[in-house]
Amino acid sequence: MSKVLTTADVVARIPDGALVAIGGSSLSRKPMALVRALARSDRRDLRLIVNVGGPEVDLLIGTGKVAEVLYAFVGFEVMGLAPHFRRARQDGSVRFQEWSEFTIMAGLDATIKHVPFLPTRSGLGTDLLKVNHAFKTFQDPFNGETLVAVPALRPDVALLHVNLADPQGNGVVLGDGHMDALCAKAAAQTFLSAEQILLPERLQTYGRDVHIFRTVVTGVVEARWGAHFTGCAPDYRADLNHVREYLAAARDRTSWSEYLEKYVYVDEREYTNQLGGEHTLGERLRV
Amino acid sequence: MSYTTDELIITCMARELRGEVLVSSVTAFGALAAHLARSTHAPELAVLSTPESGMDVAALPTLTLGQFLTDNQRAIPLTMEDIFDAIFTDRFRIWINPAQIDQQGSVNISSIGPWEKPKVALVGSRGIPEDTSHLSQGLYYLTQHTPRNVVAKVDFVSGAGWTDERRKTLGPSGAPTRLVTDLGVFGFDAEAGMLPRTLHPGVTPERVREQTGFPVEIPAGVRTTEPPTDEEVRIIRAADPLEVRRLEALAGPESAEKFAAIYERERQALHAAWPRRRH
Repeated sequence: MSKVLTTADVVARIPDGALVAIGGSSLSRKPMALVRALARSDRRDLRLIVNVGGPEVDLLIGTGKVAEVLYAFVGFEVMGLAPHFRRARQDGSVRFQEWSEFTIMAGLDATIKHVPFLPTRSGLGTDLLKVNHAFKTFQDPFNGETLVAVPALRPDVALLHVNLADPQGNGVVLGDGHMDALCAKAAAQTFLSAEQILLPERLQTYGRDVHIFRTVVTGVVEARWGAHFTGCAPDYRADLNHVREYLAAARDRTSWSEYLEKYVYVDEREYTNQLGGEHTLGERLRV
Repeated sequence: MSYTTDELIITCMARELRGEVLVSSVTAFGALAAHLARSTHAPELAVLSTPESGMDVAALPTLTLGQFLTDNQRAIPLTMEDIFDAIFTDRFRIWINPAQIDQQGSVNISSIGPWEKPKVALVGSRGIPEDTSHLSQGLYYLTQHTPRNVVAKVDFVSGAGWTDERRKTLGPSGAPTRLVTDLGVFGFDAEAGMLPRTLHPGVTPERVREQTGFPVEIPAGVRTTEPPTDEEVRIIRAADPLEVRRLEALAGPESAEKFAAIYERERQALHAAWPRRRH
């Protein structure tokens, strides 16, 4: 059965207020085509879950789609802080819950394992326990040791970008896996975008590189350059020149509106055209 | 051979690494320290090229090519689960570059000012709560030691130093053990807090006191850091032909220029050393 959709179809299946887990990590393999589609929709009050977040969180905050973010990190690495995230953290216009890398994964894993929480030592002694009331400490019933209970995170939706998929929703990841498989298994609905959709018999030749399974996938979108301006190894590297353009545009309201008109309020074909077309992108970003 | 401050810092960092453990190379300084240690006194280190892959990679600091380094060198890929398993079993080391570190060795990368109403919202605690609750070495570095980042008390505890909270719950697991800065190498005592172990050549106790945001005790006759040998300097320079290490200390137009040059040239440097792996 084919699950092939368009980015607009995916957005139509995400309700206002949805809890949305986003895969990838930092400037790697973020589902940016799906994120841009959300950013130009009229969705509101989304609640995001990210591990190491960056452009996806910043763009959705910068287009007013977000009510709350659960995160371990949001930033642009050596390129600097995430401007809209930073502004929203400082003016309080969005709610935030700071987690850590492992606890985000443990929260998703608790849902997968069908338990209300998972225990860890991670977070003990830190101020996370003071500012994030989702965490509780408890006494280990065997030895009385103090541990942190990480509550289950049950996303309504997971959005992931993969190198290759088939129409049934199997996904091949050829670079680092990040926490994508956990997102896929924990979410009520998982949508993939893929650089390319292949016939199932061709996808199966990738064997152990098939990391996302059709049994947990609701829909698949073909989106070449769908992770841009993050990277998608081994297909292309992150576009740091575009990161600089993004950061410069976010400095004031006028330049930000211009950025959105040029790169977000357009379809994906126009998006690649605005970047000089596929050939130019290839020259700059293929490795 | 003369050496630069970043090469001195990297050398001091390398000297702390040992054993058959995974070493993260999230920053250029961390990557080069791991590479230098493996090339000299600690050949058994398992150095990574990205936060989660590329075990046993040969170092090449870049801005965007970590995962390509894994593939082109056919280094061993790991998963996030593997990384956290290694952290929880103390088979992992990472040099962290905090925004603030305090007298007790608590670190902050989350917020300047109160978390609820930050003056500057930073990036969030990332994986620091994991490292600082499990590892037997807590390793930190700063390229510029100033009263703004070496402070009496961090604004937010992303990772716990020798606080009362730590004493009650974690004990020594994940406690800070070293801070390397452009002024010296420091240790952390459970009671006395941060203590200088060595000061770098030419650095006076007065300078360290001026640049530290709390009264720091400097014992008379504190030793001078052993400078990098010619061999250590050569190893660092050979491993970082693009000089990505310089980006961490630069700012403004100089940094932008360096950045552009590295981004432009790094694919070429990768291909020169390791041709592309076709898939």
